[in-house]
Amino acid sequence: MGEEAKEEFEPKVVGFTCNWCTYAAADLAGTSRKKYPPNSRIIRLMCSARLDPMFVLKVLLNGADGVFFSGCHPGECHYIKGNFYARRRIAAIRTILKQFGLDDRFKSYWISASEGEKFANTMKSLTEEVKQLGPNPMRGKII
Amino acid sequence: MKGAELKHGDLEGLLKGLLDKGVVDCLVVPHRAGKSVSYMLVTDADKIESAASALFAPSFSVNAANLVKGWTIKEKVGVVAKPCEIRAAVELIKLKQLDNESVLLIATDCSGAYTNQVYTEHYAEIGDQADSAKIKELEGKGLTIRESCAICENRLADVGDIIIATGAGDDLVVAGLTEKGEEALTTLELSLEDKDLERAAEKEEIAAEAKAKLASLPELSSLDALEEFLQDCIVCKNCRDMCPVCYCKECFFEQPLGDPAGGDLLNLAVLRGAVGLPTGQLFYHLTRVYHVSTTCVGCGACEDACPKDIPLTRFYPVITQKVQEIFKYEPGKDVDEPLPFTAYEEEELEECLR
Ligand code: SF4
Ligand code: SF4
Ligand code: SF4
Ligand code: FES
Repeated sequence: MGEEAKEEFEPKVVGFTCNWCTYAAADLAGTSRKKYPPNSRIIRLMCSARLDPMFVLKVLLNGADGVFFSGCHPGECHYIKGNFYARRRIAAIRTILKQFGLDDRFKSYWISASEGEKFANTMKSLTEEVKQLGPNPMRGKII
Repeated sequence: MKGAELKHGDLEGLLKGLLDKGVVDCLVVPHRAGKSVSYMLVTDADKIESAASALFAPSFSVNAANLVKGWTIKEKVGVVAKPCEIRAAVELIKLKQLDNESVLLIATDCSGAYTNQVYTEHYAEIGDQADSAKIKELEGKGLTIRESCAICENRLADVGDIIIATGAGDDLVVAGLTEKGEEALTTLELSLEDKDLERAAEKEEIAAEAKAKLASLPELSSLDALEEFLQDCIVCKNCRDMCPVCYCKECFFEQPLGDPAGGDLLNLAVLRGAVGLPTGQLFYHLTRVYHVSTTCVGCGACEDACPKDIPLTRFYPVITQKVQEIFKYEPGKDVDEPLPFTAYEEEELEECLR
């Protein structure tokens, strides 16, 4: 897989989104016919706070080219403070990923239910950025 | 801080008093057996004999906090140990793996420690106690303290309920840091007076040396480097078992997803074409380092426990310090300070999101 020319490289991205905001935003983007690249596979969580940083590790070690997380804006969590806790966990795992040069492949956003357009644009820029990074070197490794 | 001056010869009486006067029901305390030092759990004051020669021995076998982890019992347990061990016990209180009301934490000054194997083998040269001059002198002869000790900034006892600080020659100061600690010393009928140890300069000197040592360690700065570092890991999870702040009753890495075997492993091989055996070193250590990211006290027990001699100090304390920095959190310092993952500020850390 490593030999694919960069132009043809279509990255695989796994996304974790909160049910109440970003997942709804993705729906909105769909119903309002906003176009965005289909590279992301989205996994719905009931809240940001369900994002166990282990998910991020597992996804990257298993060779996905990118992973993103998106939840309600801070202060707007359906369960009041889930995303405040999530933000701390994300900050910690990002610090660890950064040590090994892996943090570029992990993106995190706040996108509310009404931000369908932001969701579509984010998917565009995310896909572009991951394309630039090229395939995840973990893919070919025997670990 | 209220404390009293003592001599080394008074230590035995101090510990005996804790049991005899009912301050604690039992004590976990360093125990000398010939050349080597380990711990004992003692309830009978008469069994305390070797206190003076064991308490400050620069030898590390296990983290004492790990020995009492999960002891949420009513009986009061006194723990006499090095600062990193007491700091781990404080984290365990916050993690609800120890009950603050049932422990009396007594930290002793530390000079840095040798592995217990090195200590026992070279007891003739090292002796019962070492100061920094002696440690440097022995270093010249090729005897080095553990790497985790060389990068440790917290060797002076300043945590727990009571501290036992070493002074010049035979002098000691015992002081209470908490109400509980002061009460205990009062029960022992020590005449307490206000004490200021004035150790800021000494602490700074230790910190500067530790920082310089840390900066001189090879850095693991890429996934390839980490892969190579962990190449020989057999995923025995001894590092987890000996870590005082790893406490899950059912560790993820004992479950089918974390420890795949048989068909599960074959499925992974089908998915990836091939898997390494043993498998999962990166996933295990990256997950574990996240799990202990705010609570790791840098004791080096993980490294000591590794049967494959992987220098884990270059991974665990080095990386967890970076996480602790972003939360401005020092594990084990203050029992009332919330664990970073149980607290938040409404506006913070936005730079960590992108
Ligand atoms: S890590 Fe620090 S406190 Fe613990 S044994 Fe080493 S020098 Fe002493
Ligand atoms: S990870 Fe290692 S250094 Fe950190 S607390 Fe656990 S045993 Fe001690
Ligand atoms: S103790 Fe050593 S070999 Fe065992 S899991 Fe830890 S690093 Fe791997
Ligand atoms: S419900 Fe969306 S972040 Fe908590």
